[in-house]
Order: sequence, then structure tokens, then C-alpha cells
Amino acid sequence: MIKMEQINKIYRPQSNPVHALQDINLHIAAGDFAAIMGPSGSGKSTLMNILGCLDTPSSGQYWLGGVQISSMNSDDLAVIRNKKIGFVFQNFNLLPRMTALHNVELPMLYAGIDKEERNRRALDCISRVGMLERMHHRPSELSGGQCQRIAIARALVNTPDIILADEPTGNLDTATSLEIMNIFQSLHREGRTIVLVTHEPDIAAYARRVLHFRDGRLVDEVINPHPAGISDPVEGGETE
Amino acid sequence: MNLSESIRIALDSIRANLMRSVLTTLGIMIGITAVIAVVAVGQGGQQSILKEMEKFGSNLFQISVDWRRDELPTGNEFNMQDIEIIKANVPEVQYLLPGVSSYTQVKGGTKSKTAQVRGTEADYARLHPLEMAAGRFLTESDCQGRRKVAVVDEDLARELFPRDNAIGKRIVIDNQGLVICGLVKAESSLFGSGTKSVYIPTRVWLDIYPEDNISYLEGGGRTPGEVKTAMESSIKILEKRHRSEDLYEGYTMEQEMAAVNQVTGVMTLVIGIIAGLSLLVGGIGVMNIMLVSVTERTREIGLRMALGARRRNILTQFLIEAVVLCLLGGIIGMALGIGGAFLISALAKWPPLISWTTVLLAFTFSAAIGIIFGILPANKAANLDPIDALRRD
Ligand SMILES: Nc1ncnc2c1ncn2[C@@H]1O[C@H](COP(=O)(O)OP(=O)(O)O)[C@@H](O)[C@H]1O
Ligand SMILES: [Mg+2]
Repeated sequence: MIKMEQINKIYRPQSNPVHALQDINLHIAAGDFAAIMGPSGSGKSTLMNILGCLDTPSSGQYWLGGVQISSMNSDDLAVIRNKKIGFVFQNFNLLPRMTALHNVELPMLYAGIDKEERNRRALDCISRVGMLERMHHRPSELSGGQCQRIAIARALVNTPDIILADEPTGNLDTATSLEIMNIFQSLHREGRTIVLVTHEPDIAAYARRVLHFRDGRLVDEVINPHPAGISDPVEGGETE
Repeated sequence: MNLSESIRIALDSIRANLMRSVLTTLGIMIGITAVIAVVAVGQGGQQSILKEMEKFGSNLFQISVDWRRDELPTGNEFNMQDIEIIKANVPEVQYLLPGVSSYTQVKGGTKSKTAQVRGTEADYARLHPLEMAAGRFLTESDCQGRRKVAVVDEDLARELFPRDNAIGKRIVIDNQGLVICGLVKAESSLFGSGTKSVYIPTRVWLDIYPEDNISYLEGGGRTPGEVKTAMESSIKILEKRHRSEDLYEGYTMEQEMAAVNQVTGVMTLVIGIIAGLSLLVGGIGVMNIMLVSVTERTREIGLRMALGARRRNILTQFLIEAVVLCLLGGIIGMALGIGGAFLISALAKWPPLISWTTVLLAFTFSAAIGIIFGILPANKAANLDPIDALRRD
């Protein structure tokens, strides 16, 4: 699903360059659930931005679902983000003036999906995260956990190849964090590919693989034989 | 992302900052209000003047001594014989009337009033839209026979003889007694209301004022197409009879109308330029606030890009927002302008003329301002870097 070869990212190459990523080689199979850990400033968000096609690497190759991303223009990247990637952010990033339902419909607007289909799919995804009752509320009327559920529903509506979550539980209390992680876990069990950034080992424990970053380098990888989850832990992902 | 969605988003964000949006469009609003009101009132006025002129008849022409030649009148004014000869020799002339009048005291009963006393012929009633209120107008035989009769306008008659029927009553003009034979309805014209008129046979008038001459001739062509020939042939005869060249000048009602059109055309142009400037200022206001809006909503733009919005989606979103904003201002301005036009016209006593072209033009103009002044902010929004935009708060 994801393949990175010798990815480097250098910010401000002219003046005062920051080497945010160095020679990253990464392979994430379809249906895998990977957590990325590392201290602040280690390049996690930079990696997520490149994975999410929001940014392009300074050098190296990146394939997403067999498609070479590194050389695409901004419109092509927008289409990839729309169709193949679902983002979940630490601060939810819901548009405050829209209802939850309309927030969930947003990616489909840019995909040119007609109104009925939009509504059908939005309801489907909202029910998937257990928010049907509150879908006509605005984000300001929802709790943090509820906002993140809506954000997850939004990430799902265009049935992306991969879900990218940058510290999705960073703004949530422990109990709510675990609820959110259970949603990710069940998505993973349905066969979704998930890459998630976190500081907390408890959260990383839900993933099948944990990748450790330091100073822009991938320094370590740990396989979780028994990922945490809703019911009794089962065998992790199907493929390496 | 279709148009109705974009418009919904635009209205949404306008509603979110309602006060600011209204203030922003104030410039556009005032500009459009001014354009609509001024054009409507101006065109209404023009139309009224032209209608008024048409009432007098577009076949009309006038010949007078060209005073601009800076010569004192030297007996080259007209006489009744001129009129007879022209009428006999120029077939294109249907009517030809002498123009003589004096502004003087008219005595009647116990009262005395100032009025315009006009010496004229029976044809006057055919050349001008006169409506009789009672009695009859001057006849051929009145005029030929120098009968001491007068036609008086209703208002004057009522003032002189408040209690009695004025017909058959005696009036005195500069020591000449006359008998009222008819009353005309008071003229309610755009210009001359309130002037009281008395019509008497030309020859009687010339008897009262033997020193005076006929200062101008007023004629009517047989058809609109013949007016010019009628006028020019008349002038030729006059020049021959008075042995002079370039002494007389003539003009037709048609020329007058063209002059009115030209004046109002220039006025419209000047107003158009002023309105254009105010709309320009309004447009800059819109651009300014749109730039603020883009900065405020950087994060929203970043998010939309992350969710798959292409640059052109963002561009159109902000462009549509600017256009919707300007159109709102334009529509409110149109309503205010139409209201204002009716108000001004009520005071000026002529109907406003609101043409579809003006409304359509105002509409297109406000939309165009939205596009022109929305381009810069929209472009700024579309060229944001999604990561930078997302990180901003
Ligand atoms: N836009 C940028 N311009 C310059 N430096 C940046 C930019 N974004 C990130 N960095 C730097 O790159 C390094 C990695 O940052 P980041 O990927 O955000 O780390 P993390 O998410 O692991 O905290 C940091 O040193 C950070 O200061
Ligand atoms: Mg980070």
C-alpha cells in the first residue's frame, strides 16, 4: 500500500536548513495498523504530511497504492488526498459553522458526488462512529470525543486507501482516548490501513507495528504480538 | 462542488459576519442606489420634456430674426402680408402664425390682473393642444374682421369674474375693450403653469400696439418629413421680401428634441462617471474585506485543501463569495435607488423611468465588481500552501 525509498525532507534548504527526515525507507502493507512514536521534533508530522500528499519530499520515491506520488502537481495531489486518504487531526479541524453532517459531507463535495449519495454515505459513516443522534449539531455543541468521532466519519466517507491520524487522542482524556482507539481498532479489523502518530505507549499498544523516530530517522520498529482492542486480542494484520 | 453549493457556502460566511458584510457592501450599495435613482429620474425628466414637446407637435417650426447678429430690429420683422404670401407659395406649410405677445394688465369687472396677451389666428387651436372649457376659440372671421373678442384661460376668468359666467363679459387691455367669447382650460405644462393667457386676433393686437412688429413666426409642416422644406422655403421668401440674407434663423421641434437628448446624454455620462468612481471605491472595500476574510479563514482553506479541494475550487469559492457580496449590495442598492427615484420624482412632479437596461446594467456591474475585486483575494486563498494553512491558527 505504502512504499517509501530514501525519503529526505529538508526545510529551508537555502538559509538555515532543517533536515526533518533522513533516508526513510518504509513499507506499510494494505490492512496494516502502524503507530509512529518519537519525541517532539523527530519528524513524525513531516512524515505524515508526505504520506498524506500535503507535502512533497525533497528527495526519494513515494508510492501510494502503486502510484508514484513524488512528481505530481498540486491538482493531482488534491485528487489523491480526496479519494485515497482520510485525515484525522489532533484538533479535529471541523468547520465550526457547519453541522456535523455537513462536515462529514465535505470531502464528497470535492469528489463531485451527488446529493443523495452524499447523504447516504454520510449517514452510513456517522452511524459507524455512533453519532447519528447528534449529527445535526455544530462542533461547538459537541464534546472533544464526539468531534473526533465526526472527524473519523469524515475521513471514511470517500472510502480511502489509508487513514492518517496525527495524534488523534492528543486533546482527549484517557477514557475518551480509549473509545476513539477502539474505533480505530475496529476499522483495522474491517481491513482498513491505518497510520497513527502518538506520544503515548497506551495508544501505540493498539497498533500492530510501532515505528520509532528520532532526529528525522526511523530508528526502531516493534511488532505488537497482541494489540490492545475491544474484545480479546487476535492475531494482527494479515500481511507484512 | 457545484454552483449552488458554492453560493450556499458564500451566504453562510456572509451571514456569519453580517455586520461586517453589510458595511463592506455599503460602497456598492450607495453607488448602485445613486446610479439607479439618478438615471431613473433623469430619463423620466427627459421623457417628460420630450412628451411635452410632442404635445406641441413635432411638425412645428419657428422663424425669428437672428438677434445674435447684434443689430437692432430695423423693420425687418414680419408682417401679416409675409404670412399670406408664404402660405400661398409654400405648399409644405400647413399653418403659419404670427408671434406677438405682451405681458400686461387685463381689467375685468372691478379687478385687474397681469396676463400674457397673445395676438394670434384661428389656426392656433390646431397647432397647439388647447382644450376649450366653454365658448369657442377665435375664428377666421374674428381675425379677418378685427373683432374685439378675446379667449381667456379659465383661471384668469375665475379671478376676474369669481361669481358670474365670464363669457360675454367685457375686459379692457391697454384701453381697448374686448368681449370674452371663450374660455380655455388652464395649461398644465411641465414649464409654464401659473401663467395666465389671453388670446386676441393678431390685427386687434397690432391695433393696440401700433409700434410693435411681429417678432417671430410659428408654423406647422404638412407632414413631419416636410417640416424642414417648409421652414427653409419660408425663410427664402422672407429674405427676398426683406432684401436681406442670413437675417432669419429657423428651428424645428425636432432639432429641439435632439438638443434635449444631447444635454441629458451628457448629464447621464457625467453621472455615470461619478457613479463609476463610487463603485470603484466600493470595490476596493470589498477587496479589502475579502483579503481579511482569507487571512481569517486560512485554516479553513487548509482543511478544505487537505480534504481534496483543488486550487480552482478555493478560487471559485472566494470569487463567488465576493460576487454574492457585491450582488447583495447591488440588489439592496437597486431597491433603494428605485425607492429614491420615486421619491425625487414625486417632488419634481414627473414619473421616474426605470428601464430594464438600467437594472440589468447595475446587476451586471455589481457582479463584475465582485469578480474584478475578488480575483486578488481569491487568488491569494487558492495559492496558500495546505500545510502552512492548516498549521495557522
Ligand atoms: N515548515 C517548516 N519549516 C521549517 N522547519 C520545520 C517546518 N515544519 C517542521 N519543521 C522542523 O522539522 C522538524 C520536524 O518537525 P515535525 O515533523 O513537526 O516533528 P514532530 O511532529 O515529530 O514533532 C522540527 O525540527 C521542526 O522544527
Ligand atoms: Mg507533530
